[in-house]
Amino acid sequence: MNLHDYNVNIFCVIPSYNEEDHIVEVIKDVKKITKNIIVVDDSSTDNTYSLAKSQKVTVLRHIINRGQGASLQTGNEYAYSNNADIVVHFDADGQFKAEEIKDIIKPIINNKADIVFGSRFLEKKSKIPKLKKIIILPLAKLINKIFFGINLTDPQNGFRAINRKALETIKIENDGAAHCNEILIKSFKNNLRIKEVPVSVIYNHFGQNILNGKGRGAGGIKIIKDLIIGRFIN
Amino acid sequence: MFQQILALIIILFFISRIVWQKKKKQINNNEFIFWLTFWIIAGVAILSLKYIDKIVGFLGFSGTGIDILFYIAVVILVYLVFKIRIRQARIEKNITEIVRNISLKNKE
Repeated sequence: MNLHDYNVNIFCVIPSYNEEDHIVEVIKDVKKITKNIIVVDDSSTDNTYSLAKSQKVTVLRHIINRGQGASLQTGNEYAYSNNADIVVHFDADGQFKAEEIKDIIKPIINNKADIVFGSRFLEKKSKIPKLKKIIILPLAKLINKIFFGINLTDPQNGFRAINRKALETIKIENDGAAHCNEILIKSFKNNLRIKEVPVSVIYNHFGQNILNGKGRGAGGIKIIKDLIIGRFIN
Repeated sequence: MFQQILALIIILFFISRIVWQKKKKQINNNEFIFWLTFWIIAGVAILSLKYIDKIVGFLGFSGTGIDILFYIAVVILVYLVFKIRIRQARIEKNITEIVRNISLKNKE
C-alpha cells in the first residue's frame, strides 16, 4: 500500500518525555511513512526537544510535564486544526514499528473503521515480559470487560489510528496512563466503528511497574484511580 | 474532666487561629463562618458529653458519646479529603488546558 496514492492527510502524533535516546531514530522511521509528524515534548529535562527540532518536524512543547494523555490531546488538537484526516498515535521510545502505520490506517482508508487499535495478541508475536503477559494485561482486559463492557484483545496498546470523526468525538481528559481506557470507553459510548489490527511491540527494560505509574503503559492501580476520579470531575 | 479541658483548649486555639487568619485576610467570609461554626459545634459537643452519652445509649449504640464523636469526625475527614482530591483534579485539568494553549499558541 502506497500512502501517496490516497488523498488523505495523515498526521503522526509522538508524545515524548525524556526520550533523547530514541526520538531521532523514531522520527526518521516515521518520516518514511508520513511527513506530517507532531512531536509533543512533555517538558523533557534532557535533549529530547532540541533533537526533535533538529529533525525539521513540528514540535510542540509543554512548559510543565502533564503526562502522556495530555500530550496526545495537544497533538490531536494541532492535527485537527491543520486539517488532518487521520491521526496516528505512536510512542517515542522505539516500541513500535513505523512500517506498521500502513496496517493500522488501512481500515480507516477503506472506510471500515473510525478508530483502529493495535494489538499484541493477534497474529504477530511480541516478546511481552512475563509479569505483564500473565498478570497485568489479562487483569486490565478483565477490568475493561467487567466495568466498561469493552472486549478487545489488547486494551492498553498505545498504537492507534483515528479518523476526523473520532477526533471530533474523543477529547482525552485523562492526562496520565488512563487515557488508553478513556479512548476505548469513549469509542464504545459514541458508537464509533472499531477495529483491531495486529502489531508488534519491542519491549524496553523500563516502564513495567504496576504500582507507581512511571514509564510507558504502567501503573495499573493508578489508572483505575484516575478513571474513578475522572468520573467525578467531568 | 481533664480531657474535656484539653479538648476545649485545642478548640480555642483553632478558633483564635481562624480569627487571626480572617484579620490577615487569608480566608474569606464563607470559610471563616464555616470553620467558626464547626469549632463552636465541636466545643458544645465536648461540653454536652453527658447528654450525648444519653442520646447514644438511647439510640442503642454500645460506645460512649466521645467514641461516636470520634467516628463522626473520621467520616467528616474522609469526606473532606475526597472533596479536596476532586478539587485538586479539577485544578490539574485546568493547568493542562493552560499548558496546552501555550504550546499551541507558541507554534502559531
